[in-house]
Amino acid sequence: MSAAPLPNLVTKDFQRTTLKGDDRLVVRALAEAMFSPDGEVSAERLDAFVDEVDAFISPASKTLRFGLRVMLFAIRWSPLLFFRLRPFDAMTVDERIAHLERLERSKVRQLPLLVVAYKTVLTMLFYEHPDEQRAIGYPGPERRRWKRGPALPMLDDASPVAARPAPSKNEVSP
Amino acid sequence: MNEPTHGAIAAGARASRLPVIRGRELAAPFTASADVVVVGSGAGGAVLARELARDGRSVIVLEEGGHYAPEEYGAMPPSHSFRRMSREAGMSVALGLGDTPLISLLAGKCVGGSSVLTGAVCFRIPEEVLHVWSRDLGLERMTPEGLDPFFTEVERITHVEDVPVHMRSRATELFVEGASKLGIPMKTIRRNTKGCRGAGRCNFGCPHGAKMSVDVSFLPDAVAHGATIVSDALVERIDVSGGRARGVRGRFLDGVTGEPRVRFEVRAKIVVVACGSMHTPVLLRQSGLDSVHIGRHLTLHPAVRIGALFDEEVDGWDGALQSVYTDHFLDEGIWLNGVYSAVNVLAAAFPGIGREHRRLVKRMPNLAFFGGMVHDEGGGQVRRWISREPLVLYRMAKRDKARLLKTIHILARMAFAAGAKEVLVPVFGSPTIKNDKELDFLLEDRLPARRIECMAFHPLGSAKMAVTPEAGVVKPTGETWAVENLFVCDGSVLPTSIGVNSQLPIMSVAMMLARGIAADFRRYARRV
Repeated sequence: MSAAPLPNLVTKDFQRTTLKGDDRLVVRALAEAMFSPDGEVSAERLDAFVDEVDAFISPASKTLRFGLRVMLFAIRWSPLLFFRLRPFDAMTVDERIAHLERLERSKVRQLPLLVVAYKTVLTMLFYEHPDEQRAIGYPGPERRRWKRGPALPMLDDASPVAARPAPSKNEVSP
Repeated sequence: MNEPTHGAIAAGARASRLPVIRGRELAAPFTASADVVVVGSGAGGAVLARELARDGRSVIVLEEGGHYAPEEYGAMPPSHSFRRMSREAGMSVALGLGDTPLISLLAGKCVGGSSVLTGAVCFRIPEEVLHVWSRDLGLERMTPEGLDPFFTEVERITHVEDVPVHMRSRATELFVEGASKLGIPMKTIRRNTKGCRGAGRCNFGCPHGAKMSVDVSFLPDAVAHGATIVSDALVERIDVSGGRARGVRGRFLDGVTGEPRVRFEVRAKIVVVACGSMHTPVLLRQSGLDSVHIGRHLTLHPAVRIGALFDEEVDGWDGALQSVYTDHFLDEGIWLNGVYSAVNVLAAAFPGIGREHRRLVKRMPNLAFFGGMVHDEGGGQVRRWISREPLVLYRMAKRDKARLLKTIHILARMAFAAGAKEVLVPVFGSPTIKNDKELDFLLEDRLPARRIECMAFHPLGSAKMAVTPEAGVVKPTGETWAVENLFVCDGSVLPTSIGVNSQLPIMSVAMMLARGIAADFRRYARRV
């Protein structure tokens, strides 16, 4: 889902996954409630988003990954706390939103954390997509303010620095 | 000692790829010997490695995290940076005991450590703090005058400079205006940057190679003087016999699973632990050290940030990530800093679910952010737990909770004074605040701390320096009281909270300790 191009990393990523069947259902249901209350996000994209969440959490320690899965189990069955006899992922989107808001406001210490933890991770990943960032008015890596100052030295061609900005009029060669 | 010439540093910080042995690519056991083995390559370990390498010692640096060059991490989106370069993919927390919030902890796990992920803010340790250390705690060298040469040299090497006024984002300008209306003077922050283009994403690795983190400053110079850096190397134990450290052993992380696999051993005359305040205590305990102070006295600088919604577009991303601060409330232990972050990271803390959350996210160009942190009493502990990552516990002092809430109150008042229409307070489940009067709940002492969204970036003090073994873990030289030739050289040796960003203090104290080790190296080596 993350469409930003990456350089070919010399240090290769570890290959491990965390989320299993029911976990994936709950993550998808959470994402739909948080980002697609009116069906704005396609089903394919929500499916791909679950993989992105898995890739994000999988470098964490075994303990934390286990804890995150336990939290998904707790979210799945948390409707029982409010006498709703359906798992979270079987609720309608509006029911899920209302349920998450209720959990977030709960006075029981652990319940808001269930929401906050996944809301943080999912939101960060969802709004990392360039299309979403454009939709909220973020212009991308282009910056203007630094150009108001004295010229900075131009990076030389051999410089191994990514995302080098295009030369501007006030840049000078060293 | 030779006069420093800064080799690769002087070349402009854009050194070619740092030669690093990647442990995850090694299939055969690895044995080596050196004068000095350094565990950890962050602000403490890198400075020490450079100093001892320049002194002519053979140095091996072992880093648990992976190695990513500036052109790699500079192109990573924030979540990719978190998952590859941060402890627990950026999801580390300190669990709150009693009336304490859950505190999000960000720490680096890569070659260069947290210095790669800092906001680059550089402050010297406040003189008031150093007076406590030198007068009350008996650490005679920890005076403003005693540390001045090291601060000065580190500032020169890492190019600490004022953030120019034109690099203040419009969001920051508004907070300065708001502060001014409340009679709060703002000052210019200093940062270790060279050629900053205001990308506003320092915490995920500088995309322009402008931040002078240790991977582009001290480590290239260490390597130029013969040091060897090995990544993906998890040190599991310090070898101790006869009361002296003899080396370390551990395992390289497997390239596929990320789990420890191929064994390695490094024999050395001096062992330096520089894993940071959350992991140094774990390694010391695993190695049999039993001081009651190991893992205790952890301070965090609990921090909060608010968002302020303005009618005008403020484009907070366009400018230096942090450019102003105020010490106006220093007597109350409150420090306010300008902040920003990647927009998706900021959005993660917005209130509401679904449509309400979306409404606020769509106003991102109109949202400014400002932060503050508390000079805390401590109350943290680091314990070994069931995985490689420690269990971090924190009991917030009542005084510090009140300070934290007051920080939010001040920041929100500044925002309204600047013309904000709504303020996003870091209180879970709280709607946005529309005016000053709605802020009163922050000062009524009824809000449970668990509802405060809190973070920390400066864990310190979990293996603190003291003049007697009854009072701390290491001597004023950095050597542990319990084991000869075993040194600690990172933020864990700082004996109290410092109230300011910790990068420059750690580097400077590390340089002081390293120079002491270099001066006495022959004496230490003769013990072996």
